[in-house]
Amino acid sequence: MSDDGHHILPKATLLKVFGGLIFLTVLTVAVAYVPLGPLAVPVAIGIAATKATLVVLYFMALRYDNPVNALTFTIGIIMVMVFITFTMIDTAFRGDMGNVDRQTMGEIEREQEAAQQQQEQIPSEQLRVAPADYPDDRGADAGAASGDGDS
Amino acid sequence: MATDTDIAPAPTETDHHDHPAHLQHHFVSSEQQFDSAKLGMWLFLITEILLFSAMFVAYAVYRQWHPETFVAASETLNVTMGTINTIVLLTSSLTVALSIHYIQKDEVKKCIYNLGATLVLAGGFMVIKYFEYTSKFEHGAYPGGMFDPHGGHYAQLADVPFASQFFSIYFVMTGIHGLHVIIGMAVIGWVAVRAWMGSFSSEYYTPVELTGLYWHLVDIVWIFLFPMLYLI
Repeated sequence: MSDDGHHILPKATLLKVFGGLIFLTVLTVAVAYVPLGPLAVPVAIGIAATKATLVVLYFMALRYDNPVNALTFTIGIIMVMVFITFTMIDTAFRGDMGNVDRQTMGEIEREQEAAQQQQEQIPSEQLRVAPADYPDDRGADAGAASGDGDS
Repeated sequence: MATDTDIAPAPTETDHHDHPAHLQHHFVSSEQQFDSAKLGMWLFLITEILLFSAMFVAYAVYRQWHPETFVAASETLNVTMGTINTIVLLTSSLTVALSIHYIQKDEVKKCIYNLGATLVLAGGFMVIKYFEYTSKFEHGAYPGGMFDPHGGHYAQLADVPFASQFFSIYFVMTGIHGLHVIIGMAVIGWVAVRAWMGSFSSEYYTPVELTGLYWHLVDIVWIFLFPMLYLI
């Protein structure tokens, strides 16, 4: 007896999905030995999410199931995303939140920029500290000194 | 209205006027009963996903705070054992899906064999997990305050700040996942016995279907745990 709601997944489909899952497992292990830098985490999680999607759609047959089950599952996953994202919004930026200055961070940044620009405007004669900063008067001496060193 | 003492004759496919033995009074049809049970199971699975997501959040927060610690500590885990366990669990997901496939086609024996295979694979997963745990305990890689790594490649962890955080998360996540595997084994065993007793057919196999859904969720959790703990 085959009811509309009782979709029997063909054995071939189940085996194909299983093959895909094994392939992705081997892939994720292989990729772990490739230095991907900052991409390593997103790639690993992406492969895991692909595998989970295969399991949900075919092994759990959500693709052929009553849509209300898919809706339940989707809402649950959205809640998990909210859980992770909103927690990370807090914990990932705690250092910045420790700033209790009266000025806003924007104001502090603008002040720093202004100070830097002012420094750049200082004429170069005022910034001379080392002998090498005086090429006109001591350039000859420096040249002589290096000449002594060579000989 | 049939009562508990009033035993209905064995249901046949042609006779729809009698209640099948599995159909409870408050449902209109087997179909409605099956759909309700399945929606209830999906709701339960969502609570399970939320339970695990709390631990995934803990992982994400601590990894974001101490990424180098997680990279250094995850290198001490045995990737070979983790990979074998992933393949074992994926295979057990296939066998449980096949058991549903066969009960839908009234092939009860093949259904039982596949449930048995699932049970064996789940047991294999726990055995590998046992060896992983004991090798960590030998080297003092305990969770939390008991963390005292020594010997082998664990010794270097003594100089890694916050390394105990990784192992706290590792043991809590794999431990609660392992508990789910053990509960799953008990439920699969019970379903296999009931299938053996002839309780299920293509007409009624709700417990097999729901157990399969639960087992696939346990598999999905491991699909995420494996790369997060062993690979990155």
